Amino acid sequence: MNVLVTHADEPIGRRVVKTLFHDSTVGTILATGDGPPPRVFDRFLAGAEPKVRYARLDLSKHRPVSDLFHSGRFRSAEIDSVVHIPHHGAPADGSATILPGLPVRTAEARLVLQHCLEEPSLENLITIGSAFVYKLPPGNANRLDEDSDLDLDPNVTLEIRSWIDCDMIFHGEVHNDRLRVVLLRVPTVVSEGGYVYMNPSLVGRPGLRLRALGFDPICALVSDKDVARAVLAALTASKSGIYNIAGNEAVPLSVLTRWTQRSSLAFPSTLLRWIGAGTRRLGGDATASALDPDRLRYGFTLDTRRAERELGFRSGYRVGLARAGDGAQRLEAAPI
Amino acid sequence: MRTAEPPDPPAAELLAAIPQTDSALGSDPFAEDIEFDPFLARLDTLSAEATRADTLGRPVAGRPAQAPAVAGDGTPRPSRRRSATETRASRSAELPARLRRRRWATTPPLAEIELPDAQGWLDRLLGANERRRLAALSHLADGELRFDRYGFSPPTIKRVFPLFHALYRFYFRVQSEGHENIPTEGPAILAANHGGLLPFDGAMAVMDVLLNTDPPRLARAIVDRWAGTLPWVNVFYARVGQVIGTRENFSDLLQDGQLMLVFPEGIEAIRKTVTQRYRLQRFRVGFVEQALRAGAPIIPTAIVGSDDQSPILYDVKPIARRLGLPVAPITPTFPWLGPLGLLPYPVSFRIVYGEPLRFHERFGPEGADDTRLVRSISNSVRREVQQLLDRSRSR
Repeated sequence: MNVLVTHADEPIGRRVVKTLFHDSTVGTILATGDGPPPRVFDRFLAGAEPKVRYARLDLSKHRPVSDLFHSGRFRSAEIDSVVHIPHHGAPADGSATILPGLPVRTAEARLVLQHCLEEPSLENLITIGSAFVYKLPPGNANRLDEDSDLDLDPNVTLEIRSWIDCDMIFHGEVHNDRLRVVLLRVPTVVSEGGYVYMNPSLVGRPGLRLRALGFDPICALVSDKDVARAVLAALTASKSGIYNIAGNEAVPLSVLTRWTQRSSLAFPSTLLRWIGAGTRRLGGDATASALDPDRLRYGFTLDTRRAERELGFRSGYRVGLARAGDGAQRLEAAPI
Repeated sequence: MRTAEPPDPPAAELLAAIPQTDSALGSDPFAEDIEFDPFLARLDTLSAEATRADTLGRPVAGRPAQAPAVAGDGTPRPSRRRSATETRASRSAELPARLRRRRWATTPPLAEIELPDAQGWLDRLLGANERRRLAALSHLADGELRFDRYGFSPPTIKRVFPLFHALYRFYFRVQSEGHENIPTEGPAILAANHGGLLPFDGAMAVMDVLLNTDPPRLARAIVDRWAGTLPWVNVFYARVGQVIGTRENFSDLLQDGQLMLVFPEGIEAIRKTVTQRYRLQRFRVGFVEQALRAGAPIIPTAIVGSDDQSPILYDVKPIARRLGLPVAPITPTFPWLGPLGLLPYPVSFRIVYGEPLRFHERFGPEGADDTRLVRSISNSVRREVQQLLDRSRSR
């Protein structure tokens, strides 16, 4: 199995490449990213014939993507699987628009899928989506399965909208006869060092966060190591479809905010709605994304039974608090 | 006469026909000489410095001595850094043991629970039996995070326990019987009648189960979706173990082997006026479907006192509709005393648990798809609860 991994320079991408590198069934790994190769790749890129090759690439533009799929390296590596990991390290960039109404994340998803469909040698397309695309029913925590409704409210923030667009783009090809498409929806991802990703309420750098007064939604957690294991499970499985991927743990947003070195200030929901609308009108999409009233009020956990049944995936890591070298307690994952 | 067209060449032949050049179209992003990357160049320099430092046995400034990843002949060298497996194993050992332990959906028997040391005034307020029972609940949300996936938090229930215990013993003076009918483990559903403006009947039932079962069980009450929209209330309900009544939540908790408390009359129960006291409304059917699918017995439960705690004289439906509330009541004290009028009267509660109804053994999970059967079972449960209520009231 030879794999192309996109956005490998971002946290989940790094972990996926690392997991694939250590898997004996994976041959060549072509990794692409916006920036220079991460330092953890030094070991992987070493040697005359390294297992991993890395290239910088702008996936939102047609020509570079076309060049990638028609490159000599792509052909000689006999790539048969693509793991597309949308922008997640810097959500503000992911939801930034390159054309009116077309965020970068959506443009990338369209181009990657188009080229995967056109390339006859490709058999598998595994992609990661956000579980925050679901329409959240009222409540501090509700269990959601893969058939739950998506939030198609036109007033949803641009960040969520771009994830929903990506989700629907891949969803449309889930029943493709030739290309096996697997979409993994993940909640808040905890990575090494206690950093969290994919949660729209915690985007950007540490600092003050606003939250809804009287609400403290539960956030489902998953370790980035589990996400990488799920990608590997999806690559080796034979089913296509949409799967929820999550760990066993969940914490309230206020606690997660505190544990990720952020402070929070509670405002009434109506006021948050007005602040969000005003910020969006002034062009602050990234800030407005963190002020989504529904996601600041209602929480969810994910039903992962389908992934367990069809992909053979079961969470292998527990997320907990561990004391770091500086004495501070941080979120950390440990094998179950 | 038409000649047959030659068959399309297979994909492999087509691929072979494409010239295998380094750049079939445009530029190759993986080509080594595509562009000079200053970052990579800097990395190469650092790597070379590290090699030299290793050879000389001196550390590079700002960094400890480290073996280069690549030897002079280009072959990878074993790294002196800890391997991924080693790192994982050691990190796992650094984490608290509780974090690595398996999560239990059930609680251990009281005899197996070590009495925790009294810490703070809350613990001094509680007796040994209560403290032991609360300690047992911590097994439902094990681990450092101390929240289960529905937001249940044992420390929160410990904080509010003294207040509800006082209500249980001194305000509502709860008496109960039939605890032997509650299974000690596995999924089960308590189907009870409901009444009153504020759900104190549910709270007292949860307290009663917690205080009279061994192993101590936490009844997870199913609450209406409307409660999920209420600030603070939604958080409080979640932290003390109550869940919003969606099909997925219900099914998941039963699969986890938990004890559920449902009020099958739904929101209609709190709209009952004083003339309909203890007359059960039509039961919903969702809990029967879930019981059949999960193989859970249904325990009919009668709560006498719930309809007396704040009897509704009249429900002003137009006002309720306009305000988006389930009920706009007029009681002997509300709205005359303001919000204080919503508080329940100090009536005595009697809770009776009936014999478990094991419909799942007779009809199996496939019975859940038969709507007529499900409705019929729901009516049977309603009859059982009504009989239990009538018997308990006549004593």
